Amino acid sequence: MTVPDDHSLNLAWRRRSPRQVEGPFCREKVVRVMLAGAMLSAALGVAAILGFLAYFAWPLVAGGHLSQVFSWHWQPVRGQFGILPMLAGSLLLTLSAVLAAYPLAMGLCGFVHGAGRGPWVRPVLALIHFMTGIPTVVYGFVSVFVLVPRIRQWLGGTGYSWLAASLTLSLLILPTMVLLIHTQLRQTDSRVRLAAAALGLTPVQELLWVRLPQASQGLWAALILGWSRALGDTLIALMLSGNAPQVPQAVADSLRALTAHIALVVATDVGSAAYHSIFACGLILFAISAAVNLTLRRLQAPVAAPHHTHG
Amino acid sequence: MAERLERLFTGFAWSAVLGLGAVLAGLMIFLVQRGLPSLGTALFFGSTPVAEGLMGRLPVWDGIWPACVGTFLLVVLASLIAIPLGVAGGVYLAVYASRRERRVYGFLVDLLAGMPSILMGLFGFALILLLRKTLLPSANTGLLLAAGCLSLLVLPYLIMTTQTALLGLPSALHLTGLSLGLTPWQNLSRVLLPAAGRGIMSGVILAVGRAAEDTAVILLTGVVANAGLPHSWTDRFEALPFTIYYLAAEHRSAAELDRGFGTALVLLGLTALLFLWAYGLQRTFARRWDRRVNLP
Amino acid sequence: MKLRQTWQFIVITALCCGLMSLCPTPGRAGALESFKALDGTLDIAGGTAHIPVMQDAAKNIMQVNPKIRITIAGGGSGVGVQKVGEGLVAIGNTGRALTPEEVSRYGLKSFPFAIDGVAVAVNPANPVGALTSEQAQAIFAGKITNWKAVGGKDAPINLYGRDEASGTREVFWGKLLKKGPVAEKTNIVASNGAMKVAIAQDPGAIGYLGIGHVDQTVTAVKLDGAEPTQENAKNGTYPITRKLYMNTKGEPTPLARAFIDYILSPEGAPIIQKHGYIPVQQ
Repeated sequence: MTVPDDHSLNLAWRRRSPRQVEGPFCREKVVRVMLAGAMLSAALGVAAILGFLAYFAWPLVAGGHLSQVFSWHWQPVRGQFGILPMLAGSLLLTLSAVLAAYPLAMGLCGFVHGAGRGPWVRPVLALIHFMTGIPTVVYGFVSVFVLVPRIRQWLGGTGYSWLAASLTLSLLILPTMVLLIHTQLRQTDSRVRLAAAALGLTPVQELLWVRLPQASQGLWAALILGWSRALGDTLIALMLSGNAPQVPQAVADSLRALTAHIALVVATDVGSAAYHSIFACGLILFAISAAVNLTLRRLQAPVAAPHHTHG
Repeated sequence: MAERLERLFTGFAWSAVLGLGAVLAGLMIFLVQRGLPSLGTALFFGSTPVAEGLMGRLPVWDGIWPACVGTFLLVVLASLIAIPLGVAGGVYLAVYASRRERRVYGFLVDLLAGMPSILMGLFGFALILLLRKTLLPSANTGLLLAAGCLSLLVLPYLIMTTQTALLGLPSALHLTGLSLGLTPWQNLSRVLLPAAGRGIMSGVILAVGRAAEDTAVILLTGVVANAGLPHSWTDRFEALPFTIYYLAAEHRSAAELDRGFGTALVLLGLTALLFLWAYGLQRTFARRWDRRVNLP
Repeated sequence: MKLRQTWQFIVITALCCGLMSLCPTPGRAGALESFKALDGTLDIAGGTAHIPVMQDAAKNIMQVNPKIRITIAGGGSGVGVQKVGEGLVAIGNTGRALTPEEVSRYGLKSFPFAIDGVAVAVNPANPVGALTSEQAQAIFAGKITNWKAVGGKDAPINLYGRDEASGTREVFWGKLLKKGPVAEKTNIVASNGAMKVAIAQDPGAIGYLGIGHVDQTVTAVKLDGAEPTQENAKNGTYPITRKLYMNTKGEPTPLARAFIDYILSPEGAPIIQKHGYIPVQQ
């Protein structure tokens, strides 16, 4: 049997209608169409979500309430539907979580890739992998009974605060960041590492001066993806942040995140401005997600391994 | 100067590890201490006899068995929807897609992966409201809707893992089959997919674990505090993560709180097992095909 | 197919029940007996104050007839109205009266079944046991921020409130706060049960919840000298009261009707009283 001449050995098959339509090539086309259809389903999913958010947020724009929604006070009984405090809350919460988690992630990766002694490295990595399996709700549950009373005792306030949510959130995103940086660091060319070893660099020196500078793209990607994971989390903010619709002035103050706001408000009267405002929140979250992805594409970061990017 | 920095870094790395170890140990000890005493048939079935509660002949009131069943059904249904679509999509992206298609679809998949899970729940809820007004007046929130939204949540994981698994195979494997005269589909089904099997399985298990632990999506699409065993695909249901959330916020007695700890332990055990299994599969897959020197 | 048969059965049973409902209040075992002939799922959602009563009633009914399935969700009175109005559940519970707009928009029917008061609650460790209306209004508006201003320890006041969907909040805000300002820094909890847990854990807490939910883990304070008890709520001495309502969209389905009748029957009264409310029929 001869190899048909319109097949290239390229891995990416060009969209070319097979000239022979009998036998195995018809099946090929069918298979290809089916697979393409499956791919489309994901695309449809994204489009559907965007479509619904836009459709349900539209009455805000049409009714001229948009300026109302982009204001600083959320008091529906007085007709104030401002979601900006929630946006500020989300940003403050997630940025502080990343600030706590990222150095820790760097330290852990540093341990695994250089500073750690032989037998300790595998258990630490196994521990990180174990952490990816801890459900979000369990983090929240334990924090409510361990962290909140202590914050109430030491810093005052109710304990349900920016600090409580931020610390727990940083614990949540830590394995994501660690595994992303870890994957990136592992991809260093072995020749470079051999050269470094030949020059007499210790593992830590090799890590600090050779591998980290090379992995800068991956480091940025880890930062941004970790932040986006933190932004998308609902339950920790809902359980731990106190949900007061205000911009927090101190770490012991209560705040409300966009995601928790959606969860709290979806129960209101369908059709009111308050109800439509949650779709505005959804659109903001969607927009931020999209912006993050575009930034990562711009950085030409590698496709993130999936179990590191929980939504 | 550089030496000091290196020493500082080493010290920082060690303290990071010890700190994390201490925090995790504290978390686990606290959870196990409070939760272990509650494990037992009383946790699952309350005061209902086990045999009746298991079969659903008598309702289980103070136990988490309905939540376990609810979570199980959710995960099964979401997997049935997402796995074929996800694996097929991943295969398409890895083998068939043109460069432009890969860019566009890849972007959309990444977008879906990074999207907050509550948006999927919101989408589901809004979908039901819209359906009720237009096509399907009897549409309602329930297992089917929640599983559909969950499948949207895990779809990108499946696509990306399948794609990574297939691309992680040596290119020689892709080419040999073709050069021997196999059609692309034959090459896929007989050579590539079996070879990438472990990697794809690890993605499947990851997706299952993710679906089991998610709360935000089911919050808006049909989970309730008390529902018993679901009888149909459009029924309200209970689920383990929601039970934990509910008991944390509203436990009416110390016994209920203990039940919450027991439930947390059960869910943790379940997801930890799933994720570790996925990790193990991923490692054997990588060990088989990875040409890298170091594999910590 | 089976579903269609089930519906036919329900219609026939409904006709019989309809005839039976024309008779005077059934005998002692009557209310639960009527469930033996019924089948199907009853979805209930809404007010969190109602949940204990609903759960007990559901337990009794499902023991009599395990084929019936009753699901209970919380969410607050707003959720109750929303879900029953959109047809997502059969019975929507509210802890406040329906507004005329809600009634006309969704075509809802209300069935009040209990009287409940809304009490201001503090942690049991808090020595403050009585407040005036003015003090309460100032506290919840954020004007008074330390317990010593109202006779307690020198500690900051931690405010807890409910979300917009809550009927309890609506009644409290309308009747005690007189629709006045509410501090933005109030921590929001999602239900009566959650409010109770939050106040019980925080020594400096103050919040509000239905009197039916008050137990030894929280202390309800006297308001203008009136003890926050259900009797006082009923006879008017304690002014912050509301009725608990079950609402349906139009006429209730046969299963919903049976459930409502059960709660309103003499058999339902002990359940209501057990959870600290006063049945309306008394």
